[in-house]
This record gives sequence, C-alpha cells and structure tokens, in this order.
Amino acid sequence: MDTAEAPGWASRLGVIAILLGVLLAAWHANEWMKLGIVGTPPYSLATMPEADCEQDELEEEGVSLEECRQLAYVVHDISISAPGWFKNFHIAVSVAGTALALLSVFAGIALVDYRHWAATAAVSVFGALAILDMVSFTAVVNTGPLIRQMYLWSILLWFFIHLAMTVGAIVGCEEQQAVQRRAGT
Amino acid sequence: MKPARGYSRTALILHWFVAVSTFFLFISSWWMLGLPLASAEFRFREIPFQLHKNLGMTLVAAIIVMIYVRFKHRPQPELSAILPPRMSKLATVDHVVLYALIFACCVSGYLSSSYSGWGTTLWWLVDLPNWGHENEELNILYSDIHLWTCWLLLAVVAVHISGVVYHAFRNDGVVRRMLHL
Repeated sequence: MDTAEAPGWASRLGVIAILLGVLLAAWHANEWMKLGIVGTPPYSLATMPEADCEQDELEEEGVSLEECRQLAYVVHDISISAPGWFKNFHIAVSVAGTALALLSVFAGIALVDYRHWAATAAVSVFGALAILDMVSFTAVVNTGPLIRQMYLWSILLWFFIHLAMTVGAIVGCEEQQAVQRRAGT
Repeated sequence: MKPARGYSRTALILHWFVAVSTFFLFISSWWMLGLPLASAEFRFREIPFQLHKNLGMTLVAAIIVMIYVRFKHRPQPELSAILPPRMSKLATVDHVVLYALIFACCVSGYLSSSYSGWGTTLWWLVDLPNWGHENEELNILYSDIHLWTCWLLLAVVAVHISGVVYHAFRNDGVVRRMLHL
C-alpha cells in the first residue's frame, strides 16, 4: 500500500481538480458534439430553407417568432467565421481536452488518496491542460470574430485556472520533497 | 487516523459516470435548445435530442444500480461514526434528495418525450415504448416537471459540491471515502 494521510494542500487541490475536471470533461464533450453537428451545415445562408415556426411549437418552446427565425441563422455562426482547418482542429482539441479532463479527475483522486506519484502526475496533467488551452487560444485568435466572441474568454479563463493548478501542484511537489528530505535526515 | 476504505470500486465508477453525464446533460441541453426547431429541412436536433434521452435513461439505470451497490457494500467508516449527528443527517438527506431528483428529472423527460409523439430509441438500438398517444397537455405538464426538477437538481448538486469542498478543506477523511483508487 503506497498511500498515506493526505496533507491539506493535496486534499484541497485534489477536490478542486476533480470538480473542475468533471465540468471541463462535460464542456469539451459538448464542443465535440457541437462541431460535429453544426460545423458544416448542409446548406449555405443563401440556400437555407425558411424556418418552420408554427405557433403551437413556439408556445411549447417558449420562443418568439423572431427568435425562432434567428435560430436558423445561428447554426451558421461557426461555418461562416471558421477557416477550413478549424472544424477538425477544434474536434481534435475537444477530444484531447475530454481525455485530459478525465485524467485530471483521476489525478485529483490520487491527490486526495495521496499516492506517492500523485503530485508529479498532477503537475503533468494540469500542465498539459494549460498547454492545450494555449494552443486552442492561439487557434481561435486566427478565426473570425463570431468564433472569437464564442470561445476566447472561456479558454482564457480555463488557461488561468489550469496555470494556477499547475503552480499549486509544483509547490505541493516541493513540499512533499522537503518532507521526505526531513524524514531522511 | 487514516480512514478505512470507503465506497466500493463499482460505486466509485458509477458515481463519476453519473457526475460527468449530469453536467454533460445540462451543458448540452442549453446548447441544443438553441438549435432550429425541428422540421423536414432542419434536422439538427435529432442526434443531440436522442443522445440526451439515451443518456438520461442510462442515468436512471445507473442510479438504481448505485443504490443497490451502496446498500450491498456499506462504505466504512459510516458517516455517523466520523461526523456529528446533525451533519451526518444532513449528508443523508442531501444524497436521498439528489438521487430522487436525478430519477424524477430523467423520468419526467422521458414521459414528456413519450407524450410529444417523438419516439425514443435507446442507444439507436431498442425502441422504447411510448406511454400513451400524443397528448399536448401531458407533454407540457411533464416538460414543466422536467424543467423544474432539473433546476432543483442543479441547486442540490451545488449544495453537494459545497459539502465536498468543506470536508476537503477540513481534511477530515470524509471525501476520501469516495476519492480513493
């Protein structure tokens, strides 16, 4: 058995990593589905059929006629603002993001369970998530304004969260090493 | 003192499956309701709605198995042994309400869909039976129940997470019952 009583920092950082990892996995998985469905609409704005906005449907959905018509245009926001490479790139980032988010849940559990490798694993996973955010941010900067207003702020927010978590895990690693050194002397 | 092992591995896996799926259902539902209303030309809603219903029905099954596993393998130590009675009771109430709301939210969604006239094919394999003929009033009734139980669920999830963070910051061994490898 290689677990010990978790110090305060490992317990706190672990639970925050788990909570944010669960939220991030759900967010990336949704992005993956979103791009798959509206990344390339089957028609252009010029050939788009008229939206079907029957009164009973509007009441059931709680949307106005104007909103219903606008919904038909919104599915084009990504395709008209994205360069050709964006759809596949963003899907790949979302798949990697989902996997890394699930790994950060695993790393968080390992921190709370205080496995001897947990702090190193946490630095790697949180660091990888911060790098992925940077890559994603750079890519989105090179798209059109519709995509930038959709993604830039949330990616920046996640980047700073992952950066803070990485630094927290590095400090935890150092503390762990100091404790081990003290125990060895 | 180091606490004994908590929940079983099956309970752990189911718990995290339910957690990620619940948040996915919330975030994807907010997005998919912004897609054009369904018609012969606009079919964007088909896949996300089927996925939403499939995941919801799977969550019901997962919750039932989770409750069974929870009672078959009681996690040690019992909460009442490590928490004051008031907090232990609060945690029990939180869990019961959480399970009940997930169940109510998913079942009301299925019933709403059932009375809407749209069929549900479980994971694109098995056609689930409709509970009756198309009925607009019942569809709206169950749709409202679905909406409000889900908002309530989100509020109770927030309470649940607050409790987790509270115990993690106190480092009192409670969260380690669910967070071990």
